[in-house]
Amino acid sequence: MIAVILLLSVAASLFLFLRPAAGHTAEIYVDGVLYRRVDLGKLTAPERIEVRTERGVNVLLAEPGRIRVESADCPDKVCVEAGWLEDSAAPIVCLPHRVVIKLTGGTSLDAEAG
Amino acid sequence: MSMRRIARDAVLTAVALTIFIVELQIPAPVPVPGVKLGLSNIVTLAALFTLGPWDALAVLLCRVVLGAAFAGNMAALLYSLSGGLLALGVAILMRKLLTERQIWVASVFSAMAHNIGQLLAAVAVTSTPALFTWLPPLLISGVITGLFTGLAGQFTVQRLGKIMRNRDGK
Repeated sequence: MIAVILLLSVAASLFLFLRPAAGHTAEIYVDGVLYRRVDLGKLTAPERIEVRTERGVNVLLAEPGRIRVESADCPDKVCVEAGWLEDSAAPIVCLPHRVVIKLTGGTSLDAEAG
Repeated sequence: MSMRRIARDAVLTAVALTIFIVELQIPAPVPVPGVKLGLSNIVTLAALFTLGPWDALAVLLCRVVLGAAFAGNMAALLYSLSGGLLALGVAILMRKLLTERQIWVASVFSAMAHNIGQLLAAVAVTSTPALFTWLPPLLISGVITGLFTGLAGQFTVQRLGKIMRNRDGK
């Protein structure tokens, strides 16, 4: 039974993490509420975004096509170590500050249409 | 609660806390929130299998609360608590079914329960169901770390069980 769960999890992980992101718009959520939306496809120069809440600060660096947490004053730094979010459906999470960054579609499609 | 029991649980809590603080110095192998060895669960496991659910619960609660305070990470308290309590619950349920040589089995399921509990708390706190993406990697990590801590806990019970259980002729 343990082996079955292990195999299923490996398969599901591969599926979820190799699955390409829906688009190139980064959505930043704080406490489950949309904080900012950045169309990474439209960026021409790197942009620093400071997510400041009462719990702490996360400094994000958005570049054309990718985004990451550059620094944070959270205790575990898991969000910083997660590195670049470029083409994965798996979100970057800073649990201590309740900050979530994920890629979605939406506006980049509109941009192409327009 | 007898003095002996309080003292014994306090010693176990101190051991668990020490292991917890030392483990904080080990960098996480993968940047997935919630993935860690969980070495201090060896103590919870040993307490459960030698002393019973109540002592295990006492050691777990003291360790989680003091651990969060010592690590300066009170934000993690909620995740550790929900994970820890769910894990202990699963281990308590499985305890009666297993012999002393199968403690590692309880630990594997308990570790997976721990990761599920943490994830549920994280989803609730951030109201972000997208976090369930982390479930499969967390379960893999749970199986591996649960196996490791489970075997360590099993050896502890086999070697130290007599000392931990007794001395007062209970």
